[in-house]
Amino acid sequence: MMNISIRQLVRQHNEIGIILIAILMVTLFTTTSFDKWANAYNLASIAQITATLGLLALGASLVMGTGEIDISVGSTFGIGALAYLGTVATIGPIPAMLLAAVAGAAIGLFNGFIVTRFGVSSLLLTLSTLLVFRGVAIALTEIEGLSFSVPYDQRSGFFYQLFGGGDILGINTGFWWLILGLLLLMAFLYATPGGNRLLAVGGSAESARSRGIRVTRVKVRAFVICGVLAALAGTLEGGKLGFADGGMGRLMELQAIAACVLGGCALLGGRVPLTGVVVGAFVLSSIQSYLVVNGVQPQWFMLLLGVIVVTAAISDRALRDWALRSR
Amino acid sequence: MSATSNNSHPLIEVRNLDLHFGAFHALKNVSVSFDSGQLIGLVGDNGAGKTTLIKVLSGIHKPNSGEVYFDGERVKEFHPKQAIRFGIETLQQSVGLCDNLSIARNFYLGREPIKHWFGIPFLDFKKMREASTKVIRTFGLRDNVSADDQVEMLSGGERQSIKIGRAVEFKNRVVIMDEPTNHLSVREREHVNELAQQLRDQGLLVIYITHDIHQVHKLADRIVIMENGEKVTDVAKHEMTSDELEEVIRFGGRDVEKEEVTV
Repeated sequence: MMNISIRQLVRQHNEIGIILIAILMVTLFTTTSFDKWANAYNLASIAQITATLGLLALGASLVMGTGEIDISVGSTFGIGALAYLGTVATIGPIPAMLLAAVAGAAIGLFNGFIVTRFGVSSLLLTLSTLLVFRGVAIALTEIEGLSFSVPYDQRSGFFYQLFGGGDILGINTGFWWLILGLLLLMAFLYATPGGNRLLAVGGSAESARSRGIRVTRVKVRAFVICGVLAALAGTLEGGKLGFADGGMGRLMELQAIAACVLGGCALLGGRVPLTGVVVGAFVLSSIQSYLVVNGVQPQWFMLLLGVIVVTAAISDRALRDWALRSR
Repeated sequence: MSATSNNSHPLIEVRNLDLHFGAFHALKNVSVSFDSGQLIGLVGDNGAGKTTLIKVLSGIHKPNSGEVYFDGERVKEFHPKQAIRFGIETLQQSVGLCDNLSIARNFYLGREPIKHWFGIPFLDFKKMREASTKVIRTFGLRDNVSADDQVEMLSGGERQSIKIGRAVEFKNRVVIMDEPTNHLSVREREHVNELAQQLRDQGLLVIYITHDIHQVHKLADRIVIMENGEKVTDVAKHEMTSDELEEVIRFGGRDVEKEEVTV
């Protein structure tokens, strides 16, 4: 009886795997790092990294939920950071943040439009736009007269601090934006008709269409939300650093996709445990931080990231097969 | 004719429908009409055009030429959404339910009941659960199945029951069943056929597509046979026996006529 209810729990909550991993990991890291990892300063820094990666991954998970994939998020993140930092000194934080969001929405709209209109594989298209917008980002930073660095005296304003440039309760404001974003997306995805339709499209686009759902519209919308979130994540990271270059956000797309898969998203769509995605981002950020505080070279993180994703994919499969077996 | 024509038009009328898929001529000048309260057996071999015809009626395909009238009104837009608005529900074997969603969520997919909170439309879970639970109980699903269970847990017959229950719940006027009993056990098949007859008795138009003329002859009021994209036979049930109809399917409409001439 006990066994059956556990299976049911696993079946209905795909984020359980990553939450267990996170608990084990925190225990392990805390006991093996002699307070280098589990101290207030380091945990606050993990919260900030989790925030930007988490927002990026949340957007990517919505696109993944429709059965498509968006790997251009790393470049959109960079464009968001540049749009914000390039304008914040002249037009102020709120308009600069909105400008970044609009840029992200435009990239998402472009991705979604090409994918749905021309039936191009989203993997191929967003790989191309990943490169294109990385190129745009680098070109922007090479234009004479444009500055992507915010003078120190302008970093103390309330709104500048609100968008990643400061702390609330000792934790970077980005983290609170992540919590807010997670709650809003959970409400949207699990409790509104739009969310129900998004999950349906990922589960079976044909069935969704037969119920009168405009599949194209649902997919484009997911790409747009993803673009906006990626650009806002870039804004928060830019606000935190106060400067950016054309390489900002490079390889973040891989971590974002990894966080989605770790969190229990199905690559083919229809399964989006949002809390799992955020916990996935936390696990990746924590591992990265653990390696750093122990003096391990950063390239080992990339190697480890690859191994983690494959292991997560295999064990997730095994766990779900086990959960579905008893009927 | 002229005085009563407003009330006597058929529920669905198709005139001179033509549809090509590239070089393939899927529907050739098909004209047919269907009335409410009838159970129509639409029969034919693979590639006969029966599924293509119902895909036009359910808004999935747009015809190249010809007209479709619903309740006397000319259909201009061919999209599933439009068909649903007319009250045409199509049950296809492998389409219509999303495995990853719960029964309640599937039940209302595309027309979710909403409740406004702060002006934002949220799903009305209470209503979704209540209506789908009622259907689960009425349509003979296992006792331990709940509205919150995912559809991937259900058997083939239970899936069909959900789809039929959904068709009833939304007060549809037309239910098109495409091979509804494929891959079902004998008991489930009988159950689905009973449900089809119940829908007809409630005054709905039921179009029942199958290969199996003997099975549908027991249920239907009228039999329409298609072959190579054309309508070859359109008779009331009592006009021909199921064996005679089988001959038509086997040898093609024209060949039988020829035989009749020679006999």
